[in-house]
Amino acid sequence: MLSDLLDEKSVRVGVAADDWRSAVRASLQPLVDDGAVEVGYVDDAIAGVEEHGPYFVVCPHVALPHARPESGARRAALGVCVLAEPVSFGAGENDPVKFLFPLSATSADGHLGVLADLVNLLSDERFLPALDSAETPSEVVEAIRTIERSI
Amino acid sequence: MSNTYRALVCCRAGMGSSAMLKIKCEQVINEEGYPISCEQGSLEDLAKFDGDLVITMSDFAEELAKEGKVAHVVSIRNIVDKKEIKGQLDAFLAEKSE
Repeated sequence: MLSDLLDEKSVRVGVAADDWRSAVRASLQPLVDDGAVEVGYVDDAIAGVEEHGPYFVVCPHVALPHARPESGARRAALGVCVLAEPVSFGAGENDPVKFLFPLSATSADGHLGVLADLVNLLSDERFLPALDSAETPSEVVEAIRTIERSI
Repeated sequence: MSNTYRALVCCRAGMGSSAMLKIKCEQVINEEGYPISCEQGSLEDLAKFDGDLVITMSDFAEELAKEGKVAHVVSIRNIVDKKEIKGQLDAFLAEKSE
């Protein structure tokens, strides 16, 4: 399950970000600190949006910052970053973005199970409100566990 | 209809958005029994793709449509919205049956 891969160290709530770039950097920083990705991975995620638009904004208010595995992914990792105030990604109806799920994988099919879990969570209408009301990383992880158990 | 259409679900990295989009598209395809099989890939895979349909996030779709490289592009804005996915796939199948 997703909560098994999720480390509280990679979960942040109430994160201040001025714009989408700082939101992407802030969301991926715990993965950098933890050695899951290199700084180049963060740069590539930002360069990707600059070049192709916000391809990792996947549904209303949600982004999955990630880059190409070869840009500096060392191992599979997932984080959660809830912004204090949402930011615009230029993503039309999906703006503004408040919830980021930074992601790394070392190969294209490396962690399909986790992504399937995340799709199921995002499809559950309780998920984002639960994250929004969590005040600490451990409350985020607990909220995810509770919903996972009931899906 | 014995023919199965080949779809490439792609994003830039071929790893995150496309994986999630493929999962959701396959849920819809299985529920509706559509004759579509999905592969997943990156922009590099797209260059080699010779199937019938490309499914991608909407920003990419605009780029692809501009380049005119792909026969049919399905553009998804909200990957958890099954109705949006179903509507787009219906439109593709309707076009094919004409």
